[in-house]
Amino acid sequence: MTSGEAGALAAILVMAAVSALNRTAGFFLMRLIPVTPRVRRVLDALPGALLVALLVPGAVHGDLGMAAGLGAALVAAKLTRNDFLAVISAMGTAAAVRAVVG
Amino acid sequence: MLMPRSASPAPGPSSSADHPKVTLTLAGCLEGARSIMPMMPGLAVFAMAFGAVAEQKGLSLAEASLSSALVFAGLAQMVALEGWSQHWSASALLALAFLTFTVNMRHVLMAAALRPWFAPLPAWQTYPSLLLLADNNWAAAMRYYTLGGRDAGFFVGSGFVTWSVWVAATALGHLAGGGVPDAKAVGIDLVVPAFFIAMLLPNWRGRREAVAWGVAAAVSVTVSFVLAGWWFIVVGALAGALAGGFVDDER
Repeated sequence: MTSGEAGALAAILVMAAVSALNRTAGFFLMRLIPVTPRVRRVLDALPGALLVALLVPGAVHGDLGMAAGLGAALVAAKLTRNDFLAVISAMGTAAAVRAVVG
Repeated sequence: MLMPRSASPAPGPSSSADHPKVTLTLAGCLEGARSIMPMMPGLAVFAMAFGAVAEQKGLSLAEASLSSALVFAGLAQMVALEGWSQHWSASALLALAFLTFTVNMRHVLMAAALRPWFAPLPAWQTYPSLLLLADNNWAAAMRYYTLGGRDAGFFVGSGFVTWSVWVAATALGHLAGGGVPDAKAVGIDLVVPAFFIAMLLPNWRGRREAVAWGVAAAVSVTVSFVLAGWWFIVVGALAGALAGGFVDDER
């Protein structure tokens, strides 16, 4: 790792710079877009749509344990409104299903 | 741990009763830190898994920890490890930059969604705060905002806790090496999506969400089958949000 050290460090710095750009660019660019009522509605709908786009493909491509766990999280979150219970029941359900199905 | 149903229940000294003022206070930081706690055990195991794999791929303890501290994006860090090497040519670095950008493109949208909330704050507060943006503290902060909270400290506090746990557990995982438990058998991969579900539900209002979420689900799933890589997240989210924007206000 003598000559590699600088190489790996460069890779880390490249990733860090791009990640920082990703984190700040959207906020900066929104300065240039006038917030009309329609843009406002798009921004309002964005968080939910983004969470759905993260969740649903994962569920579709996942195993039975993933599907069962997400179902359990949905029920627990709806009934208890407790984040911790939602996470715990999802993990427990997925672990149980995977222990049985393999 | 349980967020109060009506966020910012006791408005701080700086908020006015009629229109809550956007602030960044220590009290907000503490509330955000508390709210993110349910995520932390699972996140710590994720970070340990990254540390363990990084060790196998030849990263030193310092490199693995530095990656978590500066990049602070688990998915991108994990994906990058698959092609990790000790020698990086210019074209390999360019490919790495592109990979990082596409995996983290969702952060562009997340930060854009924070604009209406953070816009009144000075730039020296917003931009450093945005560097703490991660999926779970963003999701928690958006729920807090939806329920009426306006203290940006919530985002900073939850982000700082996430960052600290992420970096510390990466180092632990690197030191533990192969001793890290099998994450899937105990359902660790469910932690983030389950937390997302808990964050998503309070966003439901009615027709606009039905349209936005339906379009986001259909488009993201379709894209995930058609296009390789991580485009499905951003394309699905944008399609859903745009569709939702065309549903006029019901009220």
